[in-house]
Amino acid sequence: MAIARRPVGRIVQVAMVLVLAAAVLSFPALAPNPYILSAGVVVLNYAVLSTSWNFVGGFTGYISLGHGALAGLGAYGTALLVTRAGLPSFVALVVAALLVAALAVPIGFAALRVRGASFVIVSIALVLILLLVFQSWASLTGGSRGLVVPRPFPGLLRPEHHRVFYFLFAALLGLALLAWWLIDRSRFGLGLKAIREDEDKAEALGTPTFAYKLVVFVVSAGFTGLAGGLYALWFGDLDPVFQFSILTGSYMVLMALLGGVRNLFGPLVGALVVGIALEYFKVEFGDTQLHLVATGVLLALVVLFMPDGVLPAIGGLLNRVFRPAQNSIREVTAAQLRDQRAAEAEAREPVDAAAGRREGAR
Amino acid sequence: MTEVRGLATASLTKAFGGVVALDGATVEFRHGQVNALIGPNGSGKTTFFNCVTGMIRPDSGQTTYRGRDITRKAPHAIVRAGVGRTFQLCRVFPRMTALDNVLAAVRPAGLPGLLRGARARTEVDRARGWLTRLGIEHLADVEARNMSWGQQKLLELAGVLMGDPETVLLDEPAGGVNPALLDRIGTLVRELNAEGRTFVIVEHNMDLVMSVSDHIVVFDRGRPIAEGPPSLIRSDERVLGAYLGV
Repeated sequence: MAIARRPVGRIVQVAMVLVLAAAVLSFPALAPNPYILSAGVVVLNYAVLSTSWNFVGGFTGYISLGHGALAGLGAYGTALLVTRAGLPSFVALVVAALLVAALAVPIGFAALRVRGASFVIVSIALVLILLLVFQSWASLTGGSRGLVVPRPFPGLLRPEHHRVFYFLFAALLGLALLAWWLIDRSRFGLGLKAIREDEDKAEALGTPTFAYKLVVFVVSAGFTGLAGGLYALWFGDLDPVFQFSILTGSYMVLMALLGGVRNLFGPLVGALVVGIALEYFKVEFGDTQLHLVATGVLLALVVLFMPDGVLPAIGGLLNRVFRPAQNSIREVTAAQLRDQRAAEAEAREPVDAAAGRREGAR
Repeated sequence: MTEVRGLATASLTKAFGGVVALDGATVEFRHGQVNALIGPNGSGKTTFFNCVTGMIRPDSGQTTYRGRDITRKAPHAIVRAGVGRTFQLCRVFPRMTALDNVLAAVRPAGLPGLLRGARARTEVDRARGWLTRLGIEHLADVEARNMSWGQQKLLELAGVLMGDPETVLLDEPAGGVNPALLDRIGTLVRELNAEGRTFVIVEHNMDLVMSVSDHIVVFDRGRPIAEGPPSLIRSDERVLGAYLGV
């Protein structure tokens, strides 16, 4: 039965991906005004960030609140490579992301030696340290005055600028999702998921857990750096307070948890919900802290009622409705075991087994 | 014919604060045989396993496998050297299916191996083969957390065997297991040993120990106090005093 259902399930999955891609790509044409389009860019940026975070959080279960710092490094790296080194914008973007990935090696080497709450605290420390560095080093970063990033397409009007970056973010999201999917189905991915389940056990089965964690952390940092750099080129103005904020990392975690960290599209679904909600609260209540309260409430609701996220909750509901209950998984009884053994023995040595039974009967 | 040297330790010592768990343990297990490690609770058997498999670092002493020093190696490197293990409190990957639990023991070679699909046919067939041999093939697609304790024990063993270790360390395989399953585990150990695998079993169930073991090492206070075949151990006065309480 399970085998018969698989092709249908695959067709449904492919159809859903195509519908999702069509919805994402048609959004700019349907957006009624540039503001809505820019909100779409913000949501896609969140989706890329959260998917990038999910390479570490989803696969290994390590909750990093420091990924905002990696995005900040990507943003400042891109900006500085454009303004100081004179690199073309998109070359700068790629070089900066590679630098962030390279920097993730020593960061990961130190941070991934600890687990659980200790890792969370180390990741927060990374954000705070970089915030201080980028605020204080004003001669390079502009400090609190900010850093203006030249636009890559200076001739474009604002709506066109948003439209181009919307598609660039969509392409980056597609790339991140593809990479996540490839890892998810690979042996490397299975090793990472084993780490998430029980790191010591994974190590005891022969998985070099530290190397696996470090590699996926570097991949995650590279994508986060790309998202940060693309944001810098789109937004055009950087401030350390926003780039190295605990909130950015917290949003990534919230979005991934909300959608479902074990699911390819979980962070995207979470980004849609959180991104739209944040924009709504900012529009409705202006420059208050109400959006933070709403974010906190949302996180509490997710943890309380959907600890695995929205997508697994929906999947579980559909399973309950459409799939019959599974058979019992009770262990075999002693009698069943005896019969099984006899059958096995008979298959191996029919004459001896039959003789043994006759002997037993006597 | 020269005897193959398998798993051996020399003066292995480990203390947790003031508690000396291993006190200069020097042991040499019989390669190619079923070895048992017995002793009272707190005698250092599990600490010994953890030190030997790299899960914790000994304070001093040496562990060798086939003549190679593996004392400071990481656990995964020790597995690759040929020593696999199960845990006292059975450990499986709870939210992974039984099949994935077993597949997780596949050790990919190089980058192409890492990026290959986790469910390659040859490996799936091999994993299903182990599940079948342990009698839990029907649970291949069930998440491990939904399996019973006994089934999880068998699953844990299937995962270890999937890694194809030459030497298998079993930490209390009979703990919490019903008699039918115990019978199955005992038979399986003998069968796998006949196929060339060495076993070292920490166990309190004396019926199992005496029926499957070729060689028994008795621990007390972090060091071996006696060793030999079951017939000898049964009548050893030090063992009777320290462990069997007779």
